[in-house]
Amino acid sequence: MSAPYTLARPLAARIAALAEPTESPADAPPVPQAVIDAAASALESGQTHYTDRPGIEPLRTQAVSMLGKRYGIELDPGQVTITCGATEARFVALKQLAAGKAILAPGGGVSIAQAAALIGAPILTTLGEPTDIGVFYLTPADDPAVAQLLLDAALAYGWWVIFDTALPGSLAHPALNAALAPKVISIGSYSEALPGWRVGWMAGSSAHNKLRGYKQSMTICTTSISQWAALGLETEA
Amino acid sequence: MNISLNANIPDEVRAVASDGTKLRYALMELSAQYPDAIALGRGDPDLATPAHITQAVMQSIRDGKTAPTPVAGMPTLREAIGEKFRRENGLDVVGDNIIVTAGGQEGLFLLMQALLDPGDEVLVPDPRYTSYDEAIASAGGKFVLIPTDHEDAFNLRPEAVEAAITPRTKALLIVTPSNPTGGIVTEDRLRAIAEIAIRHNLIVISDEIYEKFLYDGWQHFSIGSLPGMAERTVTLNGFSKTYAMTGFRVGFIAAPANLIAAMAKVKAATTGATATISQWAGLAALTGAQEPLHEFQRIYTERRALMLTGLRDLGLNFSDPRGAFFFWTNSSSIGIHATVLSYLLLKEGHVLLFPGTGFGENWGGYLRISILQTTDLLQEALGRMKPILDRYRAQAK
Repeated sequence: MSAPYTLARPLAARIAALAEPTESPADAPPVPQAVIDAAASALESGQTHYTDRPGIEPLRTQAVSMLGKRYGIELDPGQVTITCGATEARFVALKQLAAGKAILAPGGGVSIAQAAALIGAPILTTLGEPTDIGVFYLTPADDPAVAQLLLDAALAYGWWVIFDTALPGSLAHPALNAALAPKVISIGSYSEALPGWRVGWMAGSSAHNKLRGYKQSMTICTTSISQWAALGLETEA
Repeated sequence: MNISLNANIPDEVRAVASDGTKLRYALMELSAQYPDAIALGRGDPDLATPAHITQAVMQSIRDGKTAPTPVAGMPTLREAIGEKFRRENGLDVVGDNIIVTAGGQEGLFLLMQALLDPGDEVLVPDPRYTSYDEAIASAGGKFVLIPTDHEDAFNLRPEAVEAAITPRTKALLIVTPSNPTGGIVTEDRLRAIAEIAIRHNLIVISDEIYEKFLYDGWQHFSIGSLPGMAERTVTLNGFSKTYAMTGFRVGFIAAPANLIAAMAKVKAATTGATATISQWAGLAALTGAQEPLHEFQRIYTERRALMLTGLRDLGLNFSDPRGAFFFWTNSSSIGIHATVLSYLLLKEGHVLLFPGTGFGENWGGYLRISILQTTDLLQEALGRMKPILDRYRAQAK
């Protein structure tokens, strides 16, 4: 049998800007026993239906706890939404906050390149005209001196700041600046320990409800068993 | 109907009353305040996911088979879905014509991103699940409503479809069986609509997620099986409703291979591959025993019969639903806007159902009532609703 047929009409023009998906790795690290136990418990208790739209409360609390311990950031679990990996969180934030503007990513923005291409937002690695910029995409690996300079500009020009904690590095959290905090969206992921389970999160900022609503419109909620299983990582730790 | 929205309803409901999706969520959040609330709102089956599916998921986890899959889905699952479409729906598809999505809603989102340029129009039956609106708008498209009505059992009229076509029309959405109406698009109408689609070079998006739940002898028919339709039909389906597994977030789409490849590009940029454990769940659902599904069908048929009588006894009018989980009831005899009425039923009776305005701005005289509770709870809900409806109906006279 072959796979026949080409669509009778042209595809959307935006598709041409996207790269072919890369092959996924064939292997994943062993699933921690506490994760297996958490998944088994969730399956046995019937957690196989929609979760609350923001995601299960214990996992949101866990994300808040991590932000507090690692970065000294205080958030309420109500300001966290569980997503289908960091990939969804990045796209949601960029789609809602960067459309029609440029994204400043001094580290190159490899992890957002396809999302930016889809929404038609150019990625700038150096500062051009500040008013053209809508979002400053910052990772913990970025140079602290450059980051501080650009965070000052973010405050001055009202840019949104995405701080992607799913990537490694030791940079201080930009929301430690209280004046900037309402414009800072934190993104995180459980994918390093649980690739393939598709659990991430986005947290904080005055735009959070807007971002949560858009995530809901895309995927309703994140896989229930994956959310409960991710809680097991805390037990494992 | 001309019923105003000026009653004493809370600000959080009033603030979102013009947005169908937000309105539904606002009511669900309000209902969480009542521990004894009976939810006849959301389309989430109350039945347990079949054990062989959860066991297969657990086994995949214990075996460590949780690594990310290709973005379009596990090849074995894509092949199994292709086989299902060939066997049950008469579609001429193979694995390359299939993408596995994080639920039907993501499927819609990916599809619109891959299909629509700004300004493109999509014909959508009215009333409709308003998440279609959001998916279309997110791609810069515009939805154009096709009227359906009670007198025609909310079937889609080919002449109404053709009348709505403009030079910007790119696609037509068909939902059969329908959420929210429970109506179906009958085979004779689908054949006529297919001719229109070919004549006007339209893409047909056929949402068949409720295909397994039909009543009174009605049979499902897939428009993509008709001659000349394979290159212009996108068939959406999923596991959530059929196997009571909404939380796994796994759906699937059959379409021409180049559209599938485009959707995979969008998926890689926006969410990545569907959760691997969910794909194992889907594979077990498709290839495992179907007796649980047959039991679900028996249960829903029984509940539907109970509600046919119970809702008529409440003085509500409706077309007998031919499929899906819902009664689309005309509540205009109560004399209160459906948004207000649903709020009052929640506040006074602790019964959650959705106002028609959650499915389009033209439906202020309708309520969507699901059958996704036990027969005991459905009876209890009917009992709670009766005095409230009687009282407001009497006040309106």
